[in-house]
Amino acid sequence: MQLSSKTIAFVLANTMAVLMALYIAFASDLERPYWAMFTVFIVANPLTGAVRSKTVFRLIGTVTGAAMALLLIPPLVDAPVLLSLAISLWVGLCLYMSLQDRRPHSYAFMLAGYTAAIVGFSAVNTPNAIFDTAVARVEEISVGLVCAVVAHSVIFPQNVLKGLTERIDRALRRCGTWITDALAATQSSDLQGQQQLSKLVSDLQILYEHVSFETSDVPRNASVVWALQDRLALILPRVSSVQAALAALSAMGPLTGSTLQAIEAVSQWARATPGAHGALPSHAESEALAALARLSAQSEDGAEWSSLLKRTVATQLGELLTDLSDAVCLADALKNPFATSTPGPRLEPPSRRSLSGDRGLALLSAFAATAGTLMACALWIQGSWPEGAVAAQFAAIGCSLFATLDNPPKVLFVGIVGVLLALPVAALYEFAIFPRIDGFASLALVLTPVLLLFSWMQASERLAIMGFLLAISFAGGLALQESYRPDFAAFINTNTAEIAGLAIAAVVSLIFTTIDPVWNAARISRAGWNEVARLADRPNRDIRQWTLRMFDRLGLVLQRLLAAKRSDLVGPRIDGLRDLRVGINLATLRRSSGALPTAARQSMNPVLNAVADAYLGLAHGKPLVGAGSERAIDQGLAVLRAQAPTRTVEDIVTALVGLRLDLTPFGSRYTPPPLNS
Amino acid sequence: MIGEIQFDGVLIPALLAVAVEAFLVLFVLRTILRRLHFYRFVWHAGLFDTALYVVILWLAVLVRMPFHSFGVGP
Repeated sequence: MQLSSKTIAFVLANTMAVLMALYIAFASDLERPYWAMFTVFIVANPLTGAVRSKTVFRLIGTVTGAAMALLLIPPLVDAPVLLSLAISLWVGLCLYMSLQDRRPHSYAFMLAGYTAAIVGFSAVNTPNAIFDTAVARVEEISVGLVCAVVAHSVIFPQNVLKGLTERIDRALRRCGTWITDALAATQSSDLQGQQQLSKLVSDLQILYEHVSFETSDVPRNASVVWALQDRLALILPRVSSVQAALAALSAMGPLTGSTLQAIEAVSQWARATPGAHGALPSHAESEALAALARLSAQSEDGAEWSSLLKRTVATQLGELLTDLSDAVCLADALKNPFATSTPGPRLEPPSRRSLSGDRGLALLSAFAATAGTLMACALWIQGSWPEGAVAAQFAAIGCSLFATLDNPPKVLFVGIVGVLLALPVAALYEFAIFPRIDGFASLALVLTPVLLLFSWMQASERLAIMGFLLAISFAGGLALQESYRPDFAAFINTNTAEIAGLAIAAVVSLIFTTIDPVWNAARISRAGWNEVARLADRPNRDIRQWTLRMFDRLGLVLQRLLAAKRSDLVGPRIDGLRDLRVGINLATLRRSSGALPTAARQSMNPVLNAVADAYLGLAHGKPLVGAGSERAIDQGLAVLRAQAPTRTVEDIVTALVGLRLDLTPFGSRYTPPPLNS
Repeated sequence: MIGEIQFDGVLIPALLAVAVEAFLVLFVLRTILRRLHFYRFVWHAGLFDTALYVVILWLAVLVRMPFHSFGVGP
């Protein structure tokens, strides 16, 4: 809300872009200059990279949509029902495609959908001019886009990275706190924080796509971001597995010397690390590593449960240490890309990664968009309503634009309020101010105050959607054209149609896409359980990609549960961190057991099958904890005891212990069989 | 630069074609400059790129211009 220099720069740039777009559109005699005007508002974003990427995708989407309208209108113009059906289906199809993925390019698909509706429906009365209409729309939008890009890139651009690095810093500091909390055995689960970290990891993915569109001075190092993402996604599961192992250990009796020492050393390190920019406190790190080495050395040969647990604690803490210090290094590398002095962690080769879209919901939203557009078309055709085209356009826009939000009807109602609020302002301009002015200079002068106001609203976080809607409906209501043609009846008719279209969209999404957040959280969790089962079933799945997806799910589930104030539901069934732990252990088991002799390797198969069964059972409503997995894991541990204690065997043992902690009732202990049997 | 290019029956202003070409040139040039870490020495990359684009566009138009318009041709 405050008037920072960033906000001022954005507001000025945006206002200038709008005026520039209007001037060019008027000067080149375009049919509807107000299209250029609201295009600027649509792509406006305080982040330059976001403006530039949205511009590219909007251009692609508009051209595709206009081309589709060009293809559909001539053959179908005499069959209104077929035409409505075709365009509605196209809108739905495009929306479905766009919801497959949350990356910025999905915008192009959505736009291709409703641009076809906009161009197509506005051309039905003059089908001969369809080509001109389509070209005019593309021209007007391009003018708006170019103006927005130039203004936002030239006038004090803000890059995406800056905000992201600030959030990364905050997240790393919080990770340090989590580690100390977990080691101090304070049983507080910071669900809010977990959700924020998950959102950050997903945002790193989504927002980083904008960076390749940033101004040239912003460094592109995607591999650093990806590596950072992988590390950040692993920290929470690792912290929680340390927590679980420690809880099991303290249930067996008070913690002893070396364990306490290791805990103390690692806590010290975790307190110091995330705050230290660049210069890692190396003595704290080496001390922590030494304490961990002592802990695992001390419990080296023991096969009983407590030594296994101690070794697990040591291994997990070691991995946690590596991950967090890598993450700190990578965050520094992201901030100062040219300081190559610190030896960074090894960067994995980049892999194709995407966040899962929700197929089922995408289908539902697509269906809603088709239904909404069709409904508006039916009113238009049945009622011979001259402005029905506008209603159909706005129904398509309303259903598409807000489909990604959690609660579309609410935003749509806000949109209707926005139109109603913008109406009097637009009317004031149209019927009181415009008759008194002449020429572009005075037009610019009278428009500037409102443009400044709307831009300022868009810059602030809370008012962004409201500002956007006000700007759009103001521009639409004004419908600035070449010469001043006051027509009060048309003004009212068009705006009523706009409101009707948005209301239809609101009703349709109220019926189809309003989903109980708790139910949705359960649904997302179930998809995650099936993923765990699949990971156990099939070899060679990319664990990094899997972890990111699961971590993203964790955030989505928590977000919904927190919004519904039902965080009490996180427990024996819904527990994203447990699923992640199990998955990571499964991946270790799979990867490392390849190095075992054949007989031992085959004895791991029952474990994998048992885990897969347990998770499939969970997805079908049974409890996760069962005797089957306990037996399989115990047998696996017994087999491994006969193997030479190499590094690989140790890894597998740790993974099995981790699985046992999650899949057996709390307090259940493993008792090793006597060696000679 | 007055004139239109015919593309599959659609008339496109020649300046638009040149502008797109100039943008492609800018795109390549930007990638090269970025690889060379050239932008470390630029105060305002957005402004620099915009100016660079105008220069490239001007050069492209100049190259396309028939000679007589310079006043040196026959």
